[in-house]
Amino acid sequence: MSDNLKVVENATCTFCGCVCDDMNLTVDVDEHRITKAENACILGKAWFREHGIEQRPFALIDGHEATTEAGVEEAAQILARARFPMIYGLSDTTCEAQRVAVGLADMLGGTIDTTTSVCHGPSGIAFQGVGESTASLGELKNRADMIVFWGGNPAEAHPRLFSRYAVTPKGMYIPNGRKDRTIVLVDVRRTASTPAADIFVQVKPRSDFEVLWALRALVKGRKVDPSIERRTGVSLAVLEDLVARMKRCNYGAFLFGMGLTMNRGRHFNSAALLALATDLNQFTHWVAKPVRGHGNVTGADNVVSWQTGFPFGVNFSRGYPRFNPGEFTTVDVLARGDADAALIIASDPASNFPKPAIEHLKRIPVIVLDPKATLTSRLARVAFTTATYGINVTGTVYRMDDVALTLRPAFPSPYPSDEQVLTAIRDRVRVLLGGNRLPAGAAPIAPAVAAAS
Amino acid sequence: MGSPLRIVNGRVYDPANGVNGVVRDVCVRDGKIVDDVPPDAKRIDATGLVVMPGGVDIHCHIAGPKVNLARKVQPETHRDDVQLRTRVTRSGTGGTVPSTFATGYRYATLGYTTAMEAAVPPLGARHTLEEFHDTPVIDKGFFVLVGNNLLLYRLLQEGRLEEFRHALAWWLTVTKAYAPKLVNPGGDEMWKGQRNANITALDDKIGAFDLTPRRVIAAFIEAANALGLPHPVHIHCNNLGHTGNVETTLETMRLAEGRRAHMAHIQFHSYGAVAGKSRSNPTSRARDIAEYVNTHPNISADVGAVMFGHSTSMTADAPLAYMLYRIAGGKWVNADTENESGCGIVPFTYQDQVYTNALQWAIGLELFLLSEDPWRMVFSTDHPNGGSFMTYPRLIRLLMDSEFRKQQMAQVNQKALDHTSLRDLQGREYSLYEIAIITRAGPARLLGLTAKGHLGVGADADITLYEEDDDKEKMFAAPRYVIKDGELIVEDHEFRDDHGGRVLHVAPAYDAKIEQVIEPFFEDYYTIRFANYAVDDRYLSHHQVIPTAAPAAAATPAGAARP
Amino acid sequence: MSLALTLHTVPTVPLEAEVLSPARLAGLSAPEAAKLTVVYGNQRADLGDFFKVGKGADGELHLTGDLARVKRVGMGMAEGRIVVHGSAGMHLGTGMTGGEIVVEGDAGDWVGSEMTGGRITVKGNAGHMVGSATRGSAVGVRGGEILIFGNVGNEAGSGMRRGLIAIGGDSGDFAGVNMLAGTIVVLGRLGWRTGAGMARGSIISMHPAELLPTFAYACTYSPLFLRLCLLHLGRLGLPVARSQVEGRYQRWCGDAVELNRGEVLLLDSAPGA
Repeated sequence: MSDNLKVVENATCTFCGCVCDDMNLTVDVDEHRITKAENACILGKAWFREHGIEQRPFALIDGHEATTEAGVEEAAQILARARFPMIYGLSDTTCEAQRVAVGLADMLGGTIDTTTSVCHGPSGIAFQGVGESTASLGELKNRADMIVFWGGNPAEAHPRLFSRYAVTPKGMYIPNGRKDRTIVLVDVRRTASTPAADIFVQVKPRSDFEVLWALRALVKGRKVDPSIERRTGVSLAVLEDLVARMKRCNYGAFLFGMGLTMNRGRHFNSAALLALATDLNQFTHWVAKPVRGHGNVTGADNVVSWQTGFPFGVNFSRGYPRFNPGEFTTVDVLARGDADAALIIASDPASNFPKPAIEHLKRIPVIVLDPKATLTSRLARVAFTTATYGINVTGTVYRMDDVALTLRPAFPSPYPSDEQVLTAIRDRVRVLLGGNRLPAGAAPIAPAVAAAS
Repeated sequence: MGSPLRIVNGRVYDPANGVNGVVRDVCVRDGKIVDDVPPDAKRIDATGLVVMPGGVDIHCHIAGPKVNLARKVQPETHRDDVQLRTRVTRSGTGGTVPSTFATGYRYATLGYTTAMEAAVPPLGARHTLEEFHDTPVIDKGFFVLVGNNLLLYRLLQEGRLEEFRHALAWWLTVTKAYAPKLVNPGGDEMWKGQRNANITALDDKIGAFDLTPRRVIAAFIEAANALGLPHPVHIHCNNLGHTGNVETTLETMRLAEGRRAHMAHIQFHSYGAVAGKSRSNPTSRARDIAEYVNTHPNISADVGAVMFGHSTSMTADAPLAYMLYRIAGGKWVNADTENESGCGIVPFTYQDQVYTNALQWAIGLELFLLSEDPWRMVFSTDHPNGGSFMTYPRLIRLLMDSEFRKQQMAQVNQKALDHTSLRDLQGREYSLYEIAIITRAGPARLLGLTAKGHLGVGADADITLYEEDDDKEKMFAAPRYVIKDGELIVEDHEFRDDHGGRVLHVAPAYDAKIEQVIEPFFEDYYTIRFANYAVDDRYLSHHQVIPTAAPAAAATPAGAARP
Repeated sequence: MSLALTLHTVPTVPLEAEVLSPARLAGLSAPEAAKLTVVYGNQRADLGDFFKVGKGADGELHLTGDLARVKRVGMGMAEGRIVVHGSAGMHLGTGMTGGEIVVEGDAGDWVGSEMTGGRITVKGNAGHMVGSATRGSAVGVRGGEILIFGNVGNEAGSGMRRGLIAIGGDSGDFAGVNMLAGTIVVLGRLGWRTGAGMARGSIISMHPAELLPTFAYACTYSPLFLRLCLLHLGRLGLPVARSQVEGRYQRWCGDAVELNRGEVLLLDSAPGA
């Protein structure tokens, strides 16, 4: 350790969707290391500790060391040639980089998708179907006297969700913190989070939808058959008690995780929960919120939405954005073998995608931007080393509740940011294509403006 | 900023300078209107064309957290209304809530060059500015929601009026806002804290606070006037959409007591009730509202006209959105922002045979036709609440063409028309000069944008050239040329160039000591750090600070207080 | 219009070919048809780059080959007949208003989504979202008939308002989800959560199924409409047994979370039925 230390106050941790912005980081400037992360949870501490500067080539082309510039040229050539380029990842980088990535997809007539499609994509689809009553996390802190966690294990995955936002903190109308709240946990098994709950409801695996549907019926005063217990493991009496408490509370909140969205039923599970929250608003105030994983996956949803109108899985082949999960989402595109090139930003699909999708990645030219070597970077034609967002570069990230924050980096990196590399690739592609690629097909209905093209 | 340009022989409508259809040249250099340009300057032959300043939308919802939720929740509306990319412009999607790029381009292709996003919670300011970055061509600013702000409520409740004023200035400055906005004052606290209740009258108690909407509104009118803001407090009254709400609206306007106040989408606040009936269909009280505005020069309003067809109700008035959801069914979005605001979103369709919808349509027209001062009763549909901004050309035709209006009136619910005075207003038609006032010169003046809405020397060179046509809808739907900051953006109806546009904001001075009052509140009740709250300048690639008239007493310069 | 097209080059990325529709090909010679534009990934291509175009007969459009990566065949068609000798890709007959499509092999996802009329017959299996609404829309099929002889994936008939979907094999989960009206017949087994959120409409299956807790048993009977419907399906070639036509069905009402005016009819397997 050197003596050249500095402290960065109010820095933001981008490890998970909580995006806590109260980190006080002690930085060893000479060693390019964060030696202490005050206020960080155990996950955040590890995140800050692990991100020093590694000695890696700026770029690798076919496994050979290259400059960033040479990598940009190769990447631009690959993308400009491709007929169905897939751009994926983006949840662990800044909104500034995401914005350029969407622009590049538009320019190319490619497809852009984020890790949302493999985590809370079902919640996005559910939202499109029924809407959502939601809130910023401070409302939970200030007002929520009943909180229901469904299909998640915050104690281990989002520790400060409990301590900073939802369970123990005191708030304006919750003067005694934990004592003023009823905490319910619904899950298929006991976890480290279970002891935090006043009421634990254990449901049989893959029966969340039935439980939610029964709750909706009870909230609406409809009859539910007692056989619900055999099916779900939850008795009618427990459900009736829950509904009574839900109607009685002043401000209720659901926080739901991938345990709900990624089991059988997927977006219908999310939709059932969102609809339940909506139904309850006839009686008292209720909100619901998906608990997001990656540090800026919420930013990715926002950027892709404001630029295209759709949150993920967007295709530009015909000169305008089209949305269709299943058709334009990455796992599906790759598993069917539809893509002929891929640009992966800050994600490692080769470590977690289904085998047919990974097999296709091995068949096509892949470009990767990542601070670290990954399984995906190892199979890439072009692999860029980039600086880590929040540690080395500033930019904007969105917390899981859509609150935007500006990052305060701890120390500089010799490597370029994702935004810089993507901008260089885009600028080079623009030259190769002579501007945006002209649309390949006509729009279904051409508005007056579109006729100008 | 482009090479010099001479627009030759156009018929110029420039009401701010008293120019009413005079054929003359307009010269442009370095993004501004100038007296003259060298003879070798580029020329546009505008013979037979109508030349107007670029349109200014004083009240719309185009960027920020709630707009993005409204976009996300309606993929079905984007699918068949798409914006193709060109060599120089980005693609996008439309519907009533277009993507950012489509928003900018579509405003531009209607001849609009400035638009004000009308409701952003302070915590959503950074997000809004990020969307502005991706909203091309037009200049834009936003009104920041302060009427349900709990810290401001505390200061007011404790009678700390000077600190209240400094805190308001602080909020405007650190969020890069353009004007303070009140939405259903007190309503959010009732909605979020009192089991989805709402404010029903100006003297209701606001939840746990020892405050009433009356006191809150009066305090903001006072503070905004004292700060000398270019645009006064922008008020969305209590009881929006409710039968009989006209009394609340009139009372709210009286609260101004001669001071400046702007009433948003006043059509939605002009409803009467049948005498003696507590629950009845609304009736029109447009005459009372128009008369009040006509005779009170301190008051201005935008109409918030309703147009038939698809709309998206998106508002910080969360209880209102829930009421609409209970009527319309389908999808509903609610989004609470800690200490600052509520929000509701409901896709909604206005139908000409539905009594209430037809009445709302008619009241919007009545307000325009009864107005005696077009400078203070200006054009809006509260996009996309009353209808998309893409319906503006049709609304202009309804105002300019009484024969067309008569045809349209014949199509709607006649019982609703019976409760309005629209049939008595057949003689009234707007002229091009008046249209130029309500869509350009008037909104610019109300916003205090001295370089907008006119074509005098020194004005921003935001210019629209229309082809004259008897069908005014057709005329205003597709200008032949649109010039932004002196750059030719649209030529012969096609995009020639892309353009960024500027963010317009204010930075009123405040006493830096006010931060010592605000910071502890943050530590207790916000979930982000005080130090991370203020929006820094990197979110303003091109921007312009619009000056305030009079600095508050004992204030430091805004620049010094900024983070 | 009598054309026979044979796939000579299998596309390596998706090919969008809504031109493969009777109205778009009407009156064209084979060389003219080969010049029609298709969208191949992000670029234009000619139909002839992928298909050998020859003369056909019967006023029909015949397509031969593995068209699994060819999307939008018959999209929006209003009349005429298309026969696919092989498999079809996504969005087969999406939004069609009339006419007929027959696929000898399998079909991809979104067969006949949001169609309003006409008939689609798939002799093999079909993917997810058969006759469904697209994301965000409340309404799916508004009319017409979809017959899948094999199995289908999830969400068949979501948001359906009118028309008939018949499945010879098994259905995936959420068949008839958010249905507004119309009829879905599944001769095989139902997946999970059939009819969730349905307001009105009828879903029929020939096998026992566990329904959601918001569906309630009403009675067992022999509905006349079902007899007529099954006879109609039998005539169209689906393997409908006499015992099914004449059988008694348990009627389950739902979904109580919504209007509760929908029904799921399950063939009563009780002895003597």
